[in-house]
Amino acid sequence: MSSISVARPDLLRSARARRFWRHGGLELALVTLLALALWTAISASIARPDRYLPSPVSVLDSSRDLLWKGILPNYLGQTLWRLVTGSLIGIALGIPFGILVGLNRTVSEMCYPILNFFQSISGIALLPIVMIWWGTTEKTVFAVVLYTCFFPIAFSVLTGVRSTPRIYVNALRTLGASRLRIVRDVLLPGAMPSIATGARLSIGYAWRAVIAGEMLAGRRGIGWMIFSAQQVDRTAQVVLGMALIGVLWILLDRYVLRPIESDTIQRWGLVQR
Amino acid sequence: MYDGEFAAVVGPSGCGKTTLLNILAGLLPYRHGTVQVDGVPVKGPGSDRGVVFQEHAILPWRTVARNIGHGLELQGVPRQERRRRVREFVELVGLAGFEERYPHELSGGMKQRVALARTLCANPVIMLMDEPFAAVDAQTRITLQEELNRIAIATRKTILLVTHNVDEAAFLGDRCFVFTRRPGRLKATVTIHIPRDRRIWKEVVADPAFTARRDEILELVRAEVRVE
Repeated sequence: MSSISVARPDLLRSARARRFWRHGGLELALVTLLALALWTAISASIARPDRYLPSPVSVLDSSRDLLWKGILPNYLGQTLWRLVTGSLIGIALGIPFGILVGLNRTVSEMCYPILNFFQSISGIALLPIVMIWWGTTEKTVFAVVLYTCFFPIAFSVLTGVRSTPRIYVNALRTLGASRLRIVRDVLLPGAMPSIATGARLSIGYAWRAVIAGEMLAGRRGIGWMIFSAQQVDRTAQVVLGMALIGVLWILLDRYVLRPIESDTIQRWGLVQR
Repeated sequence: MYDGEFAAVVGPSGCGKTTLLNILAGLLPYRHGTVQVDGVPVKGPGSDRGVVFQEHAILPWRTVARNIGHGLELQGVPRQERRRRVREFVELVGLAGFEERYPHELSGGMKQRVALARTLCANPVIMLMDEPFAAVDAQTRITLQEELNRIAIATRKTILLVTHNVDEAAFLGDRCFVFTRRPGRLKATVTIHIPRDRRIWKEVVADPAFTARRDEILELVRAEVRVE
């Protein structure tokens, strides 16, 4: 986290650093180092590593070039922008849809297989048909990200609403609550943990869909960077792109999505202790 | 039932006591007969009939105070007034100091106190209780029964309690309606003439007026169980 921590040992003892080391930070650092060492060793032992598997050092080296030209930040920004807008809109549409469908048992039983069906068709499998409709446009990538997000979250919310205990609904009815108040006071908070988990799942799928969409629809971004680098034999750049995807996801998951998820679940007091 | 009465419905398991209560609450439709509250026939649930359920039906994502004030919130009672009434009922059920706690931080008995306060706070015409103390331990149950009696005195509510616990029915009821086994029908009505302020477990167990009535109900219920 803080790169100057070695130079200033007092930072190592700060509360944040202590928390990091206590929560598996040491293990993470060790495993990362081990993986990098293994990668370097394999790279050194094969013929023509530049073509087949460049070492971590040369991958880093290639990123310096891209950074300097401003290409990397530009691509990163585009990819993240697509992810954020596509998944936010997908989630914003999926939550009310899941609740509406979940209100009625007959409707939800009818919709369940349909939602399950679409949930199984990944964004990549949807891309070809969307490309037939809209070609290699921004709209295509956006549509695929939105689609990828919508179904997992709608599915989770539906399950969450259906699994909210009936007794809460009955209790509110005897207190004189209207249908709308039951949704607001019981079903929505009852589905909250499912919403948090579903959102995390959705964004995970969307992350893959953005990359795939950029590759196939040829829109500038990290996905496109990997794809075009492969065509001109810049293997270091390909590996760099892959590493970025993984690292960005870990950061996003650990510092944004997981905290939101555990926060809602804990605050709601729904953790079985 | 007459105004301010405490009625207990007692009968063997599965005789339809809970079904009866759910019909009265308006949660289940009924085919024959009529259910009226102050002359108005029941069509679906309403805030004139408050229900205390067997399981914990308070919302886990609301604090004690917000659970208790939920009924008033739904009735559109302004915040100031709501806060005043919530405080009153928090004290009535002995939960002062726990207003900002969440249900998962409370014991089973305390959760039922919250449920009781929530129902009373909404000020229903009649309070329906479905085996409210079945899920708590024996000591807590005795305490809660005495407190319910105290609350019945303090609020003068009309209360209908459904239970399979004969002691509980005899201890709390002004009239006990004994049901037959399935299909449940009214078998007998036992009236218990013990003043409310003398209904304390330590006293009633030594009171022949109580023990005689209780044994009478017990025999009526046991006869139903034995036929099987």
